[in-house]
Amino acid sequence: MTAVEPPILLDQLTLSYGPHRVLDALSLAVAAGSITALLGGNGAGKSTTLSVLLGFARGDAGRAAVCGIDPGTDPDGARRRIAYLPENVALYEHLTAVENADYLLALSGQRQPRGAITDALAAAGLQERAWHQRLDGFSKGMRQKVAIAVALLRAVPVLLLDEPTSGLDPRATADFNALVLQVRDRGTAVLMVTHDLLSAADVADRIAFLEAGRVRHEVLAEGPDRFDVRALHARFQAGEAQAAA
Amino acid sequence: MTLFLHEVRLLLRQRLTLLSLALLGLLTVAALAAGMAEVARQRAAIAAIPAAQAEDIGAIAAWVDQKKDAGSAAYYSFHATWDPPAPLAFAALGMRDVAPYILRVRALGLEAQIYDGDTFNPELALPGRFDFAFVLVFLSPLFVIALFHDLVSGEREAGRQRTLEALPRGGAALWRRRTALRLGLLWATLALPFVVAAVVEGVGAPAILLVLVVIAAYLLFWVALAALVGRLRWSSVANAATLAAAWLVLVLIVPTLANVLINQTVPVDQGAEIALAQRDAVNRAWDIPREATMRRFYAAHPEWADSPPLGSQFHYKWYFAFHQNGDEAVASRVRAYRAGLERRDAAGRALGWLLPSVGVQALLTRLADTDLAAQLAYQDRIRAFHARLRAFYYDYLFHDRPFGKADFDRAPRFASPETLSRS
Repeated sequence: MTAVEPPILLDQLTLSYGPHRVLDALSLAVAAGSITALLGGNGAGKSTTLSVLLGFARGDAGRAAVCGIDPGTDPDGARRRIAYLPENVALYEHLTAVENADYLLALSGQRQPRGAITDALAAAGLQERAWHQRLDGFSKGMRQKVAIAVALLRAVPVLLLDEPTSGLDPRATADFNALVLQVRDRGTAVLMVTHDLLSAADVADRIAFLEAGRVRHEVLAEGPDRFDVRALHARFQAGEAQAAA
Repeated sequence: MTLFLHEVRLLLRQRLTLLSLALLGLLTVAALAAGMAEVARQRAAIAAIPAAQAEDIGAIAAWVDQKKDAGSAAYYSFHATWDPPAPLAFAALGMRDVAPYILRVRALGLEAQIYDGDTFNPELALPGRFDFAFVLVFLSPLFVIALFHDLVSGEREAGRQRTLEALPRGGAALWRRRTALRLGLLWATLALPFVVAAVVEGVGAPAILLVLVVIAAYLLFWVALAALVGRLRWSSVANAATLAAAWLVLVLIVPTLANVLINQTVPVDQGAEIALAQRDAVNRAWDIPREATMRRFYAAHPEWADSPPLGSQFHYKWYFAFHQNGDEAVASRVRAYRAGLERRDAAGRALGWLLPSVGVQALLTRLADTDLAAQLAYQDRIRAFHARLRAFYYDYLFHDRPFGKADFDRAPRFASPETLSRS
């Protein structure tokens, strides 16, 4: 990783599945300590972008790098630097919150003492009485808090979020966004793939619109209002309409 | 806590896994206990032979001593032969529960005596064997299926697969680790009780190690099959159904069909038919002129031809001669029967190279000395002993030597091979 290279970098990345081009010379960079929301309709290439960064898919051309590491050639190296939250955080129902965190940290090769785990769960906003409960009664928000606690403990430079607020009520969304800001303020580069325009406007430093595998438009947060949500909504709908056409 | 212990905890928290392992452990222990009890019963029966034999001979000897008649001595005295179980027999009873391991023989015609048990042995075979080999060959694949059918698909269906694989040690290494753990637990559940039983039974270390390798290899075959099915990315239910069908085909249907095919391809007489044919030959001899019987006998056995001619009275040497003639009348059928059995056995063993279930069963019974080869070897020992028995009594019968009480002590004694050297 060079001194100027951001933790998340996609440079002219192209990827096709057979005749279908999913990513079309996609370029995107997420700097340390910033949140980029990647918005786009179904089939725009959002999930594929995450798959490339996680090393599940390799581009046909162009470059992908996580902290300077090509996830296509060194997926484990890239994954050591990534915390990833899928849309539905599915953990082990028959383990407690602490045990789940303990296991995921062990799988990450970053074991932590129990005290650090409970501190992180507290920091993630999970109530103390839930720490030693099995997850079978947990809501999506509570599961996300466990996963975020793991991300906090791993202290990785990159956080990838896949539709993190879908299905969350407004209160839980606000709680989650606060957590993401907390992670960002630690210097983490956050890439958030989402349909949720309002949540993205609430938390992101930059919003990129992905259409047909390419970033067509980018907006940076500015001033106290950060984003013109009406304009973003119009842009989003135009992109959706184009994709549908 | 190491990652491996994490995986152990994760696995053992699953009720199905715990139940499966507990049930397999229970079945293994029960099968080993049943095998050990059967072998102990056989050893006790064999151990009781000398006293019973002495009592039997003692009762006859007093009576024989009155007339000094060698014919009566030969006719009424039974002599025990036995095939002691090898130390590993408890694990794979093989033919030991259907074929005789003790056979009392007289100097009369042998073939009817050897195959006499074939009329009731099939009844013993009906309930089937419940031994360690049965648990390993037939049941353990079902436990492999229970633990492996959803190894990856279960995580996919629970929505965890991508989360796990996105972790640095959560990809292929995770599946390898989980596979090794499940395989190790299944292996240990089968192997540990076996080792304890084997040590108690005095099985040698090389045989124990070989069985442990066989267990691992057989489990590995089923694990590989489960992994192959898992690669098709079907649902857990579809995986389980496919693997259960594979079990049905590989463990039950194909071996059964192959057995039918082998039996049709290599037809052999039933042992009972040989026994019946020998008895027929013996019974017909009552209607054949005695001189003709003796001529035939002396032609085959000139060493007794110097015997005095038969008088008008009944003489046991004529009786024994037509018994032996009866044996010789079915000798070609006996040879064909044995050759047929050996061909069937060879075909079965060849099938074992293609079908692991058949191969493992054949290997375990070979190691345990409970297969057809062991049974035939015992028959060979019986035949050799019976030949000595005949020679002993014939010396008295054909030379009209009186047979007294003390002569019983000179009768040949059956010697079983040293069993320890066979395991």
